[in-house]
Amino acid sequence: MPRIFLIAKRDYLQMIRSKAYLVGLIILPLLFGGGILVLPLTSRSNAKDQRVAVIDRTGVSASAVIQAAEEANRKVRANGPFGNPGMPRLIFEEVKPEGGQATQLLSLSNRIRRGDLFIVLDISADALRPVGDPKQERIRYYTNSGGLVDQVSLWLPAAVNDGLRRVRLVQLGVDPQRVAGVLGDVPVVSMNLVSQDPITGNIVQGEKKNSIQAGAVPLFLVFILIMIAIFGSAPNLGAVAEDKMQRVFEMLLSSASPFELMMGKVVAAVGASLTSSTVYIIGGLLALAGMAMFGLAPLNLIPWFFAYLIADVLMLSALGVALGSACATPQDAQHLAFLLIFPIMIPMFVLTPVMVQPNGPLAVVMSFIPPFTPVLMLLRQALPGGVPWWQPWLGLVGVFAWAIATIWVAARIFRIGILSQGKTPKLAELAQWVLQD
Amino acid sequence: MFAVEISDITKTFDDLTAVDRLSLVVPEGSVYGFIGPNGSGKSTTMRMIANILYPDSGTIRVLGQQRSGTRSPDRGKLIGYLPEERGVYRKMRVRALLEFHGELRGGRNVTAEVNAWLERLGLADRADDKVETLSKGMSQKVQFIATVVPEPKLLILDEPFSGLDPVSANSLRSAVLEMRKRGCTIILSTHDMGEAESLCDSIFMIFRGKKVLDGTLASIQSSYGSDTLRVELEGGASVLGDLPGIERINDLGQVQELRMAPGCDPQQVLRTLLGRARITSFSVVQPSLHDIFVRIAGPEQEQTAVA
Repeated sequence: MPRIFLIAKRDYLQMIRSKAYLVGLIILPLLFGGGILVLPLTSRSNAKDQRVAVIDRTGVSASAVIQAAEEANRKVRANGPFGNPGMPRLIFEEVKPEGGQATQLLSLSNRIRRGDLFIVLDISADALRPVGDPKQERIRYYTNSGGLVDQVSLWLPAAVNDGLRRVRLVQLGVDPQRVAGVLGDVPVVSMNLVSQDPITGNIVQGEKKNSIQAGAVPLFLVFILIMIAIFGSAPNLGAVAEDKMQRVFEMLLSSASPFELMMGKVVAAVGASLTSSTVYIIGGLLALAGMAMFGLAPLNLIPWFFAYLIADVLMLSALGVALGSACATPQDAQHLAFLLIFPIMIPMFVLTPVMVQPNGPLAVVMSFIPPFTPVLMLLRQALPGGVPWWQPWLGLVGVFAWAIATIWVAARIFRIGILSQGKTPKLAELAQWVLQD
Repeated sequence: MFAVEISDITKTFDDLTAVDRLSLVVPEGSVYGFIGPNGSGKSTTMRMIANILYPDSGTIRVLGQQRSGTRSPDRGKLIGYLPEERGVYRKMRVRALLEFHGELRGGRNVTAEVNAWLERLGLADRADDKVETLSKGMSQKVQFIATVVPEPKLLILDEPFSGLDPVSANSLRSAVLEMRKRGCTIILSTHDMGEAESLCDSIFMIFRGKKVLDGTLASIQSSYGSDTLRVELEGGASVLGDLPGIERINDLGQVQELRMAPGCDPQQVLRTLLGRARITSFSVVQPSLHDIFVRIAGPEQEQTAVA
């Protein structure tokens, strides 16, 4: 067996038999599964009914607004945890305007502070007049709930307007019995593009876009890629520093070249990452099949997932081995861990803009920068609409070329690092090692 | 036929010249002792022979092949190298570790060979234990086995007996001699001059990167002549002050070694000593390797270097 594979076999077996690997293998799905489990728990904790006070200064709108809001509240709650997590059932009560407006609002605000009320909805006297200046605030609501995302704002304004429209229609003489039909929603559905089967030539109707397919599946794929790449590569950094401290390498170097040693470790990291990802992919497919959602599985992306994963792990683990070899102690190696995680974390900051505009200039340019290609190109490919066919291939060529360049640089550092003693070199010294003959 | 031919090699690390224009030949089948003070260039020379470091200039031929940065497929198989700074994967089990090293060195089906060595060095019952559970002596034996499976033609041992108790040291020493009997060429470095005298066919001494001694023990000693007196007398070193013709006194406790200046007459020294104390033993001898080492690398040499 070639020496690279002998070293890889030893390192691979040691890696996958380690407690850290096994714990990581279990923790990763828990990170995803945990989030999903937390949502229903949060909903349950927020399940207590809440009261809403409605001040109707028009004198005629309260009952219509309350009716519309109650209907909307029921729909939101029926949508389940993905629609509006933890939205409580709201009980509306009309409060007549009295005394000074400010004094009444202060009194109601204090009730909110005490927890007696959830929201105070204040409908101004001119709310029923046709909208002139859209910036003029005619309806206000007060609440101390919401945090970063005010869940109420996602549906209450539309419901209140719905109620006011009913009042206006009645005032215009429309039969109150027909109002519901006039204002009833017609579902508007987002569809995937129509395509042509390359073999049969038949036109294939685009399927209805699915929120899980559109958002959850792409995110799941890239998160799995990121986590496995980090879990597969990062251990090399500390392990090599530890081996160096225990003087393991000099004896090995009489039998194998520094490049063989380094590549053995890199191949082992690739092997461990492929093992984890195979477990997760098979587990994910079985889970989807069990939930009768196998059709959502992006089977066409699985080969790309593995190709990008291999490229990512080649880059990161080679860098990890090189940095580990340069460190004087495993503690120094921990300090350098950010250098490893950095290239894979940057794409995380642009996930949202890329998901909003997967073929926009930012997404396209960023996905062709080799260290970011695996995450961002895979994300773009996984989003509905996909990418032009040539882009993933070009990205793949770029990322493998980058991986080879990284391995070359890493090998230059490793050959000096493993026999160097004393303090950990600075980045400038590492650069000198790379250029040194 | 030479196992190792070193020709005019130099190796520098930044501003330090670790090995300076060194040439040396090691005959096949011999035991060659490398001696020299710490930091003199022994380990660097050994690493270059083992192809771990490469000389800046000059050439090294090992077993007929020129050393270079590239690795020949049989590289590990031909050479066994036990570095001074020893370390192995401590989490591995002994047999698995030895099989790994054996295969890495190009061996095939090395299990039988590994088992034979484990038996030979008394480690058979620890074969399935993790290396981290072994004592230092046992661990050192394991590392020795890792260098001799599969059987090399050249064995490079950098201070193989340092830190070992006498029993473990004897055990490894006899294993080294067994390798020699099998025709293996052995290069070993040591700080124990008695060990070098008893084990080695030839001695090479390096000092500040330069070769200062090279040859058989007899030839080295004869080059220094019989300029040493070995005496045992009542009063020991305390009665040896101001002896005419004596350059240096080496007090070994029960025995004292006196180095004579050129032209000094041993009979005159004996007569002077008889006037001072009762003498139980007096002989004119060649200097020991220890004495030669100290003459070359002793404090006055260091002072000269500093000056």
